[in-house]
Amino acid sequence: MKDHNTKLTKGLDWPLIYLYFILVVIGLAAIYAVEHRTNEDLLYALTHFSHHFAQQLKWAGIAAAVAVIILLIDSKFFTATANLFYVFGILLLLLVLVIGKDIKGSHSWLVIGGFQFQPAEFTKLCTLLALSKYLSSTETDFTKLRSRIIASCIILLPIGIILMQNETGLALVYLSFFLVLYREGLPGILLIIGFSIIVLVLSALLIEKTTLFIIFTVVAALVIFFMRKMIIKRRSVLMYILLIWAFCGTFIMFAVPFTFHHILQPYQVSRINVMLGKEVSRGADYNVQQSKIAIGSGGWLGKGYLKGTQTRFDFVPEQSTDFIFCTIGEDFGFVGSIVLLLVYTLLILRIIMVAERQRSSFSRIYAYGVACILFFHVAINIGMTVGLAPVIGIPLPLISYGGSSLLTFTMLFFIMVRLDADRQMVLR
Amino acid sequence: MEPKKDILWRVYLCYLCIIAVAAVILVKIFFIQQVDGNYWRSMADSLHDRYMTIDAERGTIFSADGRMLSTSIPYFDIHMDFMADGLRENNGEKFKKNIDSLSYCLSMLFRDKSATRYKQLLERGYRSKDRYFLLKRNITFEQYDILRNFPLFCLGRNSSGMIADQVEKRINPFGLLANRTIGLWRDNAPNIGLEATYNNYLKGTDGKRLMQRIAGGVYIPLEGYQIDPENGKDIVTNINVNIQDIAENALYNELVSNEATHGTCVVMEVKTGKIRAIANLGRQPDGSYVEDYNYAIADAAEPGSVFKLATLLSLLNDHYVTINSPIEISTDYRFGNRIMHDAENHPTEVVSVKEALEMSSNVGFSKMAYTYYNNNPQKFVEDLKKLGLDQKTGIDIAGEVKPVIVTPQSRTWSNTALPWMSIGYEVLQTPIRLLTLYNAVANNGVMMKPYLVSSIEQYGKVIKQFDPVVLNPRICSDTVLKQVQSCLEGVVESKEGTAHKALDNPYYKIAGKTGTAQVANGRHGYADHIYQATFAGYFPADHPMYSIIITILNKPHAAHIYGASVAAPVFKAIADKLYALDFEKQVPQQSRPVFDSTLQIKVGSTDELKAILTKLDLPVSAGNVPQPYANATINNQHIYLKPVETPKGLVPDVKGMGLKDALYLLESAGLKVTVQGKGKVTNQSLPPGQTVGKDNSIAIQLS
Repeated sequence: MKDHNTKLTKGLDWPLIYLYFILVVIGLAAIYAVEHRTNEDLLYALTHFSHHFAQQLKWAGIAAAVAVIILLIDSKFFTATANLFYVFGILLLLLVLVIGKDIKGSHSWLVIGGFQFQPAEFTKLCTLLALSKYLSSTETDFTKLRSRIIASCIILLPIGIILMQNETGLALVYLSFFLVLYREGLPGILLIIGFSIIVLVLSALLIEKTTLFIIFTVVAALVIFFMRKMIIKRRSVLMYILLIWAFCGTFIMFAVPFTFHHILQPYQVSRINVMLGKEVSRGADYNVQQSKIAIGSGGWLGKGYLKGTQTRFDFVPEQSTDFIFCTIGEDFGFVGSIVLLLVYTLLILRIIMVAERQRSSFSRIYAYGVACILFFHVAINIGMTVGLAPVIGIPLPLISYGGSSLLTFTMLFFIMVRLDADRQMVLR
Repeated sequence: MEPKKDILWRVYLCYLCIIAVAAVILVKIFFIQQVDGNYWRSMADSLHDRYMTIDAERGTIFSADGRMLSTSIPYFDIHMDFMADGLRENNGEKFKKNIDSLSYCLSMLFRDKSATRYKQLLERGYRSKDRYFLLKRNITFEQYDILRNFPLFCLGRNSSGMIADQVEKRINPFGLLANRTIGLWRDNAPNIGLEATYNNYLKGTDGKRLMQRIAGGVYIPLEGYQIDPENGKDIVTNINVNIQDIAENALYNELVSNEATHGTCVVMEVKTGKIRAIANLGRQPDGSYVEDYNYAIADAAEPGSVFKLATLLSLLNDHYVTINSPIEISTDYRFGNRIMHDAENHPTEVVSVKEALEMSSNVGFSKMAYTYYNNNPQKFVEDLKKLGLDQKTGIDIAGEVKPVIVTPQSRTWSNTALPWMSIGYEVLQTPIRLLTLYNAVANNGVMMKPYLVSSIEQYGKVIKQFDPVVLNPRICSDTVLKQVQSCLEGVVESKEGTAHKALDNPYYKIAGKTGTAQVANGRHGYADHIYQATFAGYFPADHPMYSIIITILNKPHAAHIYGASVAAPVFKAIADKLYALDFEKQVPQQSRPVFDSTLQIKVGSTDELKAILTKLDLPVSAGNVPQPYANATINNQHIYLKPVETPKGLVPDVKGMGLKDALYLLESAGLKVTVQGKGKVTNQSLPPGQTVGKDNSIAIQLS
């Protein structure tokens, strides 16, 4: 076993590493493009450390070092310390509540010696490790409700703290772990219920509530009419139908309006409305509008690298972080966007493939978690730049500017690569 | 088997989900970039990286005496955006709250509509949801400054919808004055005059600013993407507003009294060629006169007799004649199939060349030209060309027309061309070209280029200076020059001279030449009896300061047609005033006033007299006058003070004193004074030297 470990590259899944490398390079190129001015050359960007490009290059270097270190660590280290990581992560999150700094409206940043760090990013890793550890433990029987509740709690605890930090976007990312639970045997009905609720919320927002209520009532009546034979056989069916109808009714009539008016912040309501096309507020849809203009002006092949004007002239806000996709859309057009999406899809599918080939359930669950996080990030981030998802400010993995994000994804990713490299040896 | 199947199903579902989401995103991107691509691209072009021009301020045109002839003043057009967010907010709450006070303020400011009318106007605009509703055009900056603080408007662009567009208007503070020369700067018509000629200097360079549109449709400038405008430079012309005013007025009066079609008048400084005044007036259908065309530089016509100067110069330069050579003149003279007439009937007689010019004999000049140049007309043409009469003067204003000299090679040349050329037909000359020739004669043979702009300034600093340019350093020998000058002086001085009646005066000498040319009027030919009257000359003839040309095109069948009767009076009016102006300027420095008996000095206090006379810089020899009162006498342009005795107890001699001194002396001598008249004392009822008794009274007479 030792012999294998000494060889750093032994058993590594190279396609994964290539894809990782491609994305980081695309990220650097995009950040360079965002900041590029016609009178500045590469040397200028490299030597100006206040610029994002030089910063990101530095972080990429650090990330590479971290990746090598992780590859040098025995994979058992991660299973052994998973719970420790989790406790450390939770403590860090709590610490932020106490000594955190407000940056861009969220109280989720730690500032240590002039360098900003967002623990909520890092805790993703901790939570995933803990979740994998718990689910893979031999004592856990995921068919039991108790296990399911514990697993849910592992996920919900950081979500709660992060929500208190007012960093809704990242909190939502943790929800993607429920997909892992589904893979591990969570009944599909729960996901269906979850999905139904989302549909319900959306329709409640889109359709006037009385009309919606009437529609539900008519549907319920029709169902009762068509299922009358069944109902006659079994009374409980009618009960179920009526219960669902009553639940939907209350939900749309009271729960949704209540949430909107009393729980969500006005800007959040506004963002959701903008996404649904119900509201054309200049303030709220400005980001998306700008982003669409940037992407839209790219056309089939784009304006060419460093030729985009929309991103270059700071029209798009947050363009090197949350809206980095605009740069690619503008400079490389539709083809460039397809290529980027293809790279991500390949990466995620490859991770799922890797996950499914694991003999250890820890590794499998972990890999699934990575896939879910990546998927959620990519889908929501690109979705929001093109106006499909509300703007919740989560970065595009490995591409967006930001040290916390890049390091976290690198660690997530290389721990998985390490685990995968050792797949033949252990059966945990 | 069952769990494996279940897991596989779940995994596939995951794959499916991911691909589905990726597909949805792709479709959305496709829509943004392809289906709605043009829309977004147009947004990009029109709304975002927009370069806005920062207008450069146009320079000012100054007169030589530093007054603004043409300058730019900002005006504002006020529009309303009735769809402004703030205005529509809460169902137009702000609008409704402020409309009454706003209407009132508008009405008070502009005083053109009642408050009710303004209110109706605003309400109509509000209902129409017009985004660019014109409220008021052309308001001044002062008005705009007040307007900004009106109710509603003071809330800013977003809340009030008020849009102020700045427009730069070109104004000429002196109105009509030299209008055509200063030029016009117009939006939708060709630009003319100095405004066009010096546009490159005046216009400056517009700046550019990259503006970013931010929420609310507001543009903000982006830092680092701005090119500052360079304001236009100022032009200082040679035009003197006073002279221009004099010239324009004189011309105007003459045109009006003659109902002439148009006229021009140019005043040029002899030594430098600087144009001090240039007036162009044309009659409008309604009978008024405006600067409608730059006749001085752009109207080349047959000049008539003023051209004889050129012929004379040619003859003298070629040594064919002197001004004393005899020449036989008659009323008519036949050249081939055409008959040359003199303007007035006179017997056939022999006169000198000088006299021929003075009385402007067409027969005389055409005969001489024919005699000396018929064998070689090219020589005559060459002589004229040497005087520059086929060239533009190169005056610095767009639109100068090139004069035309017929040459023997040209198709229109005929046997009679030469004699008619010699008296100013068959050639086309602009007033400015002729003036340049006359100015050269005045300037001792040095032909100066006429020019209008003396310097270009920026922020009050001269950045380019235009110096006088010599076109021809010597148009003739000194001997010829003297002869020519005496001939031109003779035109005014000699009793036979054509301009004698109009111009001869005892104060200063004028030299010049009249010209009256019959003008062909299109297909009517010469039948309409339209005459163009010209007078070109300079003054004072001894040391010329200004040369002036006046050209007036008379109406058909006008009563007065001659250069002497139409153009020369304008010259006189201008020259008189200019002479007076310059004289006034020179008098105080030139000499002391001559004083004689008209200088009145009252008898008075010795100290006061001394002080006053010294202050006035009069030659006074005070010496040591022992008495407090003195009498001033003038002897040989010198003032002497003689003491006046005022012995105690005797009646003083107060003759010649003012009332103040007389009263003081008499009353302090104990006399009761009765006064009559004013001025100085001419008579006193008690003779000086008499002893003053008790209660003596004295009457003094002042005048």
